Amino acid sequence: MANMIKLTIDSKEIQAPEGSNLIDAAETAGIHIPNLCYLKGMPGIGACRLCLVEIEGAKAPVIACNTKVKEGIVVNTKTDKITETRKFVIDLILSMHPLDCMTCTKAGVCNLQQYAYDFGLKESTFTRKKFGFSIDEGNPFIKRDPDYCILCGRCVRVCRHQGTNVLDFMGRGVGAKVITANDKPLQESSCTFCGSCVDACPVNALLEADRWRKGREWEYEKTKSVCLLCGNGCDISVSTKEGRVAKINSGGADGSVEKYICAYGRFGFDCIEAETRVTSPMKKVGNELKETTWEDAINIVAGKLKKAGASAGFVSTAGIMNEDALVLKQLASTIKSKNLDTTASLYSDADSLKNESVDIDSADLIILAGLNPSQWTRVLPALDAAVRRRVNSGAKLIVVNSGDTNISAVAALSIKGDEAKILSEIAQGVISKGAKVPKELVHALASVDPSDDAIKGAELFMAANNPLIFASPSLYDASANLSLIKGAAVAVPIESNAKGVVLMGIDGKGKSYKEMVNEGMSVLYVIGELPLNKRPKTDFLVVQNSHLTELAKQADVVLPSAAFLEASGTMVDYMGRLKCLCKAIEPAGQAMSHREILMAVAKAAGMDIKEPKDADIKKALKAKPKVSLKPFKKKEGLDVNPQEMIESINASVINGSRLLWLKESEKAVAV
Amino acid sequence: MAEQKEKKVEDIKKEAEAKKCPVSKSLYYIEAFLAGPMCGKCFPCEMGVYEAKIRLKNLTDGKGSEADIFAIKRIASDMLESSRCKRGKDTAAFILEWMGTDVFKEHVEGRCPDRECISLIEYRIIPEKCIICGDCQDACKYDAITGEKKKGYKSGYLPFEIRQKRCVKCGDCIKVCPTNAIILVDVKSKEPVGV
Repeated sequence: MANMIKLTIDSKEIQAPEGSNLIDAAETAGIHIPNLCYLKGMPGIGACRLCLVEIEGAKAPVIACNTKVKEGIVVNTKTDKITETRKFVIDLILSMHPLDCMTCTKAGVCNLQQYAYDFGLKESTFTRKKFGFSIDEGNPFIKRDPDYCILCGRCVRVCRHQGTNVLDFMGRGVGAKVITANDKPLQESSCTFCGSCVDACPVNALLEADRWRKGREWEYEKTKSVCLLCGNGCDISVSTKEGRVAKINSGGADGSVEKYICAYGRFGFDCIEAETRVTSPMKKVGNELKETTWEDAINIVAGKLKKAGASAGFVSTAGIMNEDALVLKQLASTIKSKNLDTTASLYSDADSLKNESVDIDSADLIILAGLNPSQWTRVLPALDAAVRRRVNSGAKLIVVNSGDTNISAVAALSIKGDEAKILSEIAQGVISKGAKVPKELVHALASVDPSDDAIKGAELFMAANNPLIFASPSLYDASANLSLIKGAAVAVPIESNAKGVVLMGIDGKGKSYKEMVNEGMSVLYVIGELPLNKRPKTDFLVVQNSHLTELAKQADVVLPSAAFLEASGTMVDYMGRLKCLCKAIEPAGQAMSHREILMAVAKAAGMDIKEPKDADIKKALKAKPKVSLKPFKKKEGLDVNPQEMIESINASVINGSRLLWLKESEKAVAV
Repeated sequence: MAEQKEKKVEDIKKEAEAKKCPVSKSLYYIEAFLAGPMCGKCFPCEMGVYEAKIRLKNLTDGKGSEADIFAIKRIASDMLESSRCKRGKDTAAFILEWMGTDVFKEHVEGRCPDRECISLIEYRIIPEKCIICGDCQDACKYDAITGEKKKGYKSGYLPFEIRQKRCVKCGDCIKVCPTNAIILVDVKSKEPVGV
């Protein structure tokens, strides 16, 4: 914990952690210091001058965004002089703002509107200015309207900080404009449509493209949830109006490097209303899928499962929630089948996913072992953004990979080659520098001769206080060995709840996913969207999914499940943290959550499964083994192409939403 | 050729001081400041200076009002208080210094005491003094003077007059007039004023 500093703000005595700035310190005491350009978690630039405050004894007012707390200072945030300055600045901004709050989508959350209200400014006393910039609305995601822009530069900085670097200013002063390179529309720039700029914009200059007359902030119901589309499992905040999702924002804490969601998470929600949505159970009659009742469908499935018994198999995505996984495990044991596995086994062994939780915000050295996160290919984009932000805030990055990675551009050290060998060399480098390490590690590494690069890596490692290693699951053991010396290591799966399903006990004790899909089972029960388009060899195929995928079309029974915003539950993200998902909207049609369906099937098969409680989940989460020395070796047979995998498990999300436009335009650019 | 170094605010001030009218000085300074050393890194300065330019233009164009003077004063004093760097603060101080006289007010009334704000003045030819020599017509680059030279063999002549729409108020005609027949007049009061 940082030292606490005592200070007085507006005659309130408060305590704030050492090194924090006055805006954050005041916020903890419930005092809001006006600001337009400040972004929590980034150094203040002092452009808007709204956060000027007076410190008793100081000659002139100082900007609160860039002034650190000091013991005993007395700060006044609301003197007449300062209020006049703030009024003056808002007055000036209003003179070049459209002032159409009555139809503006941002009304209610617009900072400018709020300050104009606070200072009682109906309109500007200065000369009206209009620049008539053209609007960029050539893409279905983000609309840029420079006429609303107040030139605070938040979008520019947020884009630069996370490493996307698309936006910048053209010109200076009044009449300047935020542009992409050569002032091209967004889709012709290197924009990834993550929408971080939309979250940062204090006014209506950057907005989701489809928001016009779809409701304003006060009409929305907000739900905290988690995105389940890839291994990152980012926090999201879902805004719904009249039972429909209106928008999704990042749910990460302000100032955290994890306040990021990618285009999938932010704009993929259209898929909930896609044409491919299954809204009622279906069974195969002749060669066609026909709608049927839940009762009929459940009875057929239960009967088939019971008959098949131990030769029935269950394969699921690792994107189901913990509760679903627990129920699924019980259902399998009900019909006495051990064949239960998830797609997590394609890229990881079970033990590698049982890691303690870690915190990236405090890491000062990040090592990426065998991972190639990228915002552009949308492989673990949030990890890419978080790492780049940490690096921009002073942390060091080491990239260890056998191939080329995009992120190595910001790395302090990038070593190409056999990852496990390099990790062992770094460990040996640390030993050769005389660091205190466990004895068995010294023995294991006795014959390793570190390369020059590895020595550099070892130096960085030793200089760091909190090294954090993100490893691909196949390299987790080798990475965890390093964490025996210092810091922590986690395996980063490709799917959102891979860690959760493994901890819940679906760890491939029976037949593995590959075996079930390739060798054939008498009955195969598929849950969620799998990277599988052709019907595997099986007598009877049940597909339980929210969308009619290619595989579902070939199924004998299709059970409609709730999509990812339509059910509550918990999951464990890639950093090992338990996260809660709240239901934001009701399931479409007759769809039910995975666990409701599984429980109904179990009931029809003669077994009552109770809905898992929080305590059950917490109990299951305790099964985390201690880190111990393992061989420095890469595990074989776990190589999948992460990009292909993420795209195929999200095929119905992508094809059923405006993301399809993105995919096609990216393809068009690539050709 | 080496790239020209960015002007310093003090240099611009010196250039501005070459003018006599404080309003003209301020406008010249602000325009040069906007084109040159204004960095655009803080709102009070970048937006304030732009607004001040509009207001000063109003004054020199004869469209000024008390509100303009009030606005300029407010901009300058707030900039002095809240600008991020010395350049902005200096700019504000210069403007305030130039505003120290009543000259700004006189501009609202339509008078530029230093006869520099060309929108506020007109050139006139006093027929009584004019000897119809035609020197002014020859000197005028803008063809703004009508009239015909007196010729011995002709009985009549056209009196010399200045076409206000064409006149750019460069002052070339005054310099060549042998009899000081061309004078400056306040646009608003239409009263003749001395040079």
